[in-house]
Amino acid sequence: MALLQIAEPGQSPLPHQVKRAVGIDLGTTNSLVASVRGGRAAVLADEEGAVMLPSVVNFSEPERPVVGAPALRLASQHPADTLVSVKRFMGRGREDALEEARRSHYCLSEDAQGLVRFTTASGDVSPVEASAEILRSLRARAESTLAGDIDGAVITVPAYFDEAQRQATKDAATLAGINVLRLLNEPTAAAVAYGLDSADQGVIAVYDLGGGTFDISILRLRAGVFEVLATGGDTALGGDDFDNVIVDWLQRSSGKDSIEPGQHRALKALARRTKEALSSESSVAVDLSSIWPDAPGVTLSRDQFEALIQPLVKRTLRACRRCLRDAELDQVDNVVMVGGSTRVPLVREVVSEFFAREPLLNIDPDQVVAIGAAIQADILVGNRPQSDVLLLDVIPLSLGLETMGGLVEKIIPRNTTIPVARAQEFTTYKDGQTALAVHIVQGERELVTDCRSLARFELRGIPPMTAGAAKILVTFQVDADGLLSVTAKEQATGVEASVSVKPSFGLSDSDITAMLQSSFQHAQGDKQARHLAEQRLAGWQLIEGLRAALAKDGAALLDAEERQLLEDATAALAALLEGTDAQEIKAQTESLGRLSEAFAARRMDKSIHEALAGVAVDTLAEKVGE
Amino acid sequence: MTSSPDLTQDYFSLFGLPVSFAIDRDELGARYRRLQGELHPDRYANASSYEQRLAVQHSALVNQAYQTLRKPLGRALYLMELGGVSQNDMSRHQIDGGFLIMQMELREKLEAIPELMEPDEAIEHLLDEINQDLRAEQRAFEQAYNGNDTEHAISACVKMQYLDKLLSEAERLEAKLIDG
Repeated sequence: MALLQIAEPGQSPLPHQVKRAVGIDLGTTNSLVASVRGGRAAVLADEEGAVMLPSVVNFSEPERPVVGAPALRLASQHPADTLVSVKRFMGRGREDALEEARRSHYCLSEDAQGLVRFTTASGDVSPVEASAEILRSLRARAESTLAGDIDGAVITVPAYFDEAQRQATKDAATLAGINVLRLLNEPTAAAVAYGLDSADQGVIAVYDLGGGTFDISILRLRAGVFEVLATGGDTALGGDDFDNVIVDWLQRSSGKDSIEPGQHRALKALARRTKEALSSESSVAVDLSSIWPDAPGVTLSRDQFEALIQPLVKRTLRACRRCLRDAELDQVDNVVMVGGSTRVPLVREVVSEFFAREPLLNIDPDQVVAIGAAIQADILVGNRPQSDVLLLDVIPLSLGLETMGGLVEKIIPRNTTIPVARAQEFTTYKDGQTALAVHIVQGERELVTDCRSLARFELRGIPPMTAGAAKILVTFQVDADGLLSVTAKEQATGVEASVSVKPSFGLSDSDITAMLQSSFQHAQGDKQARHLAEQRLAGWQLIEGLRAALAKDGAALLDAEERQLLEDATAALAALLEGTDAQEIKAQTESLGRLSEAFAARRMDKSIHEALAGVAVDTLAEKVGE
Repeated sequence: MTSSPDLTQDYFSLFGLPVSFAIDRDELGARYRRLQGELHPDRYANASSYEQRLAVQHSALVNQAYQTLRKPLGRALYLMELGGVSQNDMSRHQIDGGFLIMQMELREKLEAIPELMEPDEAIEHLLDEINQDLRAEQRAFEQAYNGNDTEHAISACVKMQYLDKLLSEAERLEAKLIDG
């Protein structure tokens, strides 16, 4: 939604350079950052050589959050102040999050919009703020490794994330001072990591079982284009659940009725180690004496473990079957495994049996998403102008409208390729009615109450007419990040109705502005210098883009006068950029932007013609007689 | 201020293909990917915000056009729309009684399936049956459309809509049966 697209202050003062772009896998359990250097994508390590940053933030001391492994070490003493698996709470309301919170022993509160917040020693913290701390830490790591500011990042999200969860992720990046080039679905990123170096074609299934989410996607790769055919999954199923069934089993085996919050953390760590050991051992002795001194030692065999997790693994196969059906396919050519939980032998076994294919494993399943994201970031930031790789993604959940009786009318069905725009006509039901309320929901169910509420709109300024006479065309547009925006227009009179968007979930405009301001004050404070840097960057980007466009198409698409006009305006802006008047730079940038719109439109039309001319001139000529 | 994609161009011309019910799906797919390769917003990640907006609009239009033409029913409905047949004309069309009785019979079969001993096999048979009927109506549509017989084209179109709806209901039931 436009209201949340606040550009990150500019940090790349010099154009014409190889730009620093990173891919970030913001995971439930661990997060990673990767970058392409010297043509090779690799994950970046911290000072101690660790590549995985545990997605854990400790808020015991106000103003000094601790991130990663050190935070994990504080978890036992400060369970309520140490947030793990915050990704599960992103974009969630308090009601949704209660079950999660019960397990994790967080103290929850909610904000004015019903969004969940954690009560900690540093005050209330939102999942977005906690995620921003993780992102800030990764950004610092990347900036020290790459020796300079980051120009942009691709951040991955589970394909199954809904609008609110995506928006929350983007908000977190904005708070962390990161310029988001694109939100990319994790399975798509994994396919890119595997698919780019080969001229392969075929159908790829990406089975992604991470710490907290399960995703299955089916993609077709053809002529450099990755087309997502279908996607599915479960936002609340992952390796954490394997740990939880072990915790429950340990508790039962020791005859304990209750667990203290600190004990739960310790048990969970023990369960995780046990699970990991069972990937290579056939049974593991578990020593519980540090948690319950009176507990007898217990042994968990791999068979027992597999019986415990069998129902969870089966749940993933149901999603695979549904996804295959949605893609209208019976089989796939390749299976890519993603996520640490695919190290569990039972998972590998069951998945290779289901698809009748040995899964691809040559890229570390914990790193493959970050690596794919880094490659895509490198392309998007403009470092590979010749690349013809393109990702065509889909929306994971249907978008609909509330109609009479609390029913949902679907406007854009799930698995529709994005970007997408659909228009729907509305009318008034009362004489003289000047406003119309629209409620947008996301989900597959028939009742509004079973779907996620995304936004409520009020269309105002409709000219008074008799009931049913007004024709209001509402256009829903989902961009390449999977984010929605809405515009409305009254058809009969041509009046554009004003639309006010109030996201039911996600941050409001003023929320994010306030948070940004406070985080800026924290960081460096000098707002004016920042503002100037922002305006200069915007100006440079426009000049850079326009000069390239003029060099390529100026002669063909513009007459001498038009061209002179644009060149003069460009030179005027370039001169202003030497100075320090941010207001003047902004005004000239906007004016040059408007001046170049017609040129941009002509270039777009030219692209269409060239694209088709390139296909097969013979067949084209034959068929349409050109 | 914002200029929209050229909506006056029909979807077939957008892909440089002749306006026709028969279509080369591979060729359509290849042209679709070629167009997206030029117009997708990812190609404009560093362009001005105006160009980015334009790219989203164009790319969305190409997606919409592709989805419309990809499947026979979408293509048939779109051809009718191009020929000036409104949604209203379609819904006013009188369907012959024989077809409606056949539909009711198919529907009853569908509803009885969950109670059967071998529902999996039954649903497969029913899906085959519906698909055969659909193909027959597609042929009828093509013939009527090519012969400028609007009445029969509308009739085939409406029948395809009925069958398509039934088909998705049958597929939903199949999904339920597979998932257990």
